[in-house]
Amino acid sequence: MTTAQVTLSSGFSRRYTGGRREFEIEARTLRDVIRALDKMYPGLGDHLEEETTVAIDGAIHDAPGYFQKLRQGSEVFFIPKLEGG
Amino acid sequence: MNDVAPSRYKWVGTRPIRPDGVPKVTGRAMYGADLAYPGTLYGKVVRSPHAHARIRSINTEKAKALPGVKAVITGSDFPNQIFEYIGPERVAVNFWHVTRNVMAREKALYEGHAVAAIAAISKEIAEEAEALIEIDYEVLPHVIDVDDAMKPDAPLLFEDMITRGVEPAPTKPSNVSKRLEFAIGDVAKGFKEADVVIEKEFKTAAVHQAYIEPHATIARVDADGQGEIWASSQGHFVVRALTAKLLNMPVGDLRVTPAEIGGGFGGKTVVYIEPVATLLAKLTGRPVKIVMSRDEVFKASGPTSGSSMKVKIGVKKDGTITAAEGTFKFQAGAFPGSPVMNACLCAFAPYVVENQHTVGYDVVCNRPKSAAYRAPGSPISAFAVESVMDMCAKKIGMDPVAFRLKNAAKVGTPMIYGPKLGHGGYIETLEALQQHPAYKTKLGKNQGRGVASGYWFNGGGESSATVQINADGTILVATGSPDIGGSRASMALMAAETFGVDYKNVRAIVADTASVGYTHVTGGSRVTFATGTAVVDASKKAIDDLRARAAMIWDVDVDGVVWEDGCAKPASSNVGDFKPLSLREIAGKAAATGGPITAAASVNAGGQAPGFASQFCDVEVDPETGKVTILRFVAAQDVGTAIHPSYVEGQIQGGVVQGIGWALHEEYIYNPKGQMDNAGFLDYRCPVASDLPMIEPLLVEVPNPVHPYGAKGVGEVNICPPMAAIANAIDAAIGRRMTELPMSPPKIRAALDHSAD
Repeated sequence: MTTAQVTLSSGFSRRYTGGRREFEIEARTLRDVIRALDKMYPGLGDHLEEETTVAIDGAIHDAPGYFQKLRQGSEVFFIPKLEGG
Repeated sequence: MNDVAPSRYKWVGTRPIRPDGVPKVTGRAMYGADLAYPGTLYGKVVRSPHAHARIRSINTEKAKALPGVKAVITGSDFPNQIFEYIGPERVAVNFWHVTRNVMAREKALYEGHAVAAIAAISKEIAEEAEALIEIDYEVLPHVIDVDDAMKPDAPLLFEDMITRGVEPAPTKPSNVSKRLEFAIGDVAKGFKEADVVIEKEFKTAAVHQAYIEPHATIARVDADGQGEIWASSQGHFVVRALTAKLLNMPVGDLRVTPAEIGGGFGGKTVVYIEPVATLLAKLTGRPVKIVMSRDEVFKASGPTSGSSMKVKIGVKKDGTITAAEGTFKFQAGAFPGSPVMNACLCAFAPYVVENQHTVGYDVVCNRPKSAAYRAPGSPISAFAVESVMDMCAKKIGMDPVAFRLKNAAKVGTPMIYGPKLGHGGYIETLEALQQHPAYKTKLGKNQGRGVASGYWFNGGGESSATVQINADGTILVATGSPDIGGSRASMALMAAETFGVDYKNVRAIVADTASVGYTHVTGGSRVTFATGTAVVDASKKAIDDLRARAAMIWDVDVDGVVWEDGCAKPASSNVGDFKPLSLREIAGKAAATGGPITAAASVNAGGQAPGFASQFCDVEVDPETGKVTILRFVAAQDVGTAIHPSYVEGQIQGGVVQGIGWALHEEYIYNPKGQMDNAGFLDYRCPVASDLPMIEPLLVEVPNPVHPYGAKGVGEVNICPPMAAIANAIDAAIGRRMTELPMSPPKIRAALDHSAD
């Protein structure tokens, strides 16, 4: 199992995790990350899926997908959803 | 014309004629207003003449009694919506607000706010009915300007609005819907390290997307509740979803067909008249058509926000930026939801700045609700940031391109929104400017050159495509992305490249909501990237099927068949001595080999790369009149791979033109009653051909490895730099720093009448 460095936005962490922003999570895919966070903070998984854009190693994905793969040391940022014109 | 990727691909990077070209130039393309069903009723929206008024009562009885009037509705005819913000921060939708923007209930919050609607057998009868509707308004004080709206004694649009994002939560209501804050590093420490610190305040006017085609729709609802909508929009799936939600209908009961669209630029990603026409159609049992006038478009559909901003940047003498700070106050219009978050995130994104701090305010005021406009938010903060960047470069005596190059973001640069930058491309745009022969040319009296850059995220997300192989071997590609900028040509090119067939054998169409899978809006510069990925995926699936069919025809294993140059071929001589099978030949055996050959693909495309643009322009200022003439405009942009270079160039030129309008001419002008005084193209001054120089696009290709052909979004970032580039050029020409948009002749004249800073 690989370990990912996971970071939430400050606003998101204020609302859902009591201010904790950074996590080290054993995960092969984004699904593993979401599942682990949801286990720590029940209901958080839905918020992450519905309300965030995710950046994995700097590459932005509009909507978190379970299938997105992670490597050892991957940096995962959940950031506010973005919308263009 | 850029010479792009001559040898990498056979079709990608070529410039064939767009498939929708002939119907458009011959006037046969069907736009929003062009469809008519037998028995269609004329739909008219009744609008508030007041900027802010409580609606004490609306009496529609006399209007309903008028012969020829089939229905009259008000806000109370729409289902109630719960007050809650659903979804992500930037696009959090509160349907309590959305339904009130579609039709006012307790209050009219801007001039032009819909308060009732009529369906009648003719325009004349609808107008007569409008005069019979009795509305008792209590006119209230209004507020237009964002700084005024933030004052403690400002008239409140919502008496119970408590600012979100402030802790502890304020106890008093205000017009500030939300406060946002982003930071990395330590700005106080960063500013201490600076040799030069420059701080400046800026204001920008609200500007409209100014699409040529007004909003238009026709809706019908059958007796069984099944409805159809024909509409001009940037996303017919979104029209379906929002209309269904606002009318409490199952999504599956609505089918939305996309009309051709005469421009959107972000402004057609929301609904205004579609739910109104659908409700009127439901009540009357007849089709109902509503077409906005230009006056209605200006007054009742979203412009982008006007703003008030303060930006501070600290630099060392060697040009290193040590800290940057920005405060961005955005008009949301009558309901919360300006693009201020994007402004905060994009402001300093082109640069390596260890210490950054941005604060944003989303502020309601008595204007139409703002809507997305090309890289929403980013051009506004870019005007302030890129102006201060220019001031810093001048102060330390550095060339503006060299200054930007010294600080340019690259792969691994920390971004204020959290992650490190994952894709490059910015440096290459600056180098393209530097190498342009015109960059070093000398200018004359009252002439100046200005440089600016911009950043935009670009989008990905959900898209769908289907591919059908026709009996004659031609290919149909259907997607759910309305074609605004030539995407049918781009989709056909990517399919032709993948299949290895001639572009002319591929027909690309935009399918309705019942005929292709969900596809998000044509916005966020996402279509070539996300929908293109779906097209390539569907094409590859079809090719796998074609190989399997060829294997059946040859009685060999499928692994023994490869696809090359549009044909099935034996993988090696060991497979057998077979003549290549063309698409037409395999399609001819479709029935025998399993039936029609089709494939579908749906994606949630991620890993899109952001867009960077760098531009310079030369201007001449007439000191007597204050008129600014643009002499030259050079626009470099990282486009990944230009799938159809002509349409990429068109996007860049279009973005720059809109930026020139934003910079020099365009603004909403309000009278003391809060009514818009220039709601027409004669008085709302969009640039016309005679205002414009040749805009020279420089296509910089840094492919995105995630996309099958390296595409990046190209539609938006080009509008970020022009306002600052022009302001910087004006400063170079006449020594006056313009801080307020538009930089119209009276403002230039006023600046010249005062001494320079």
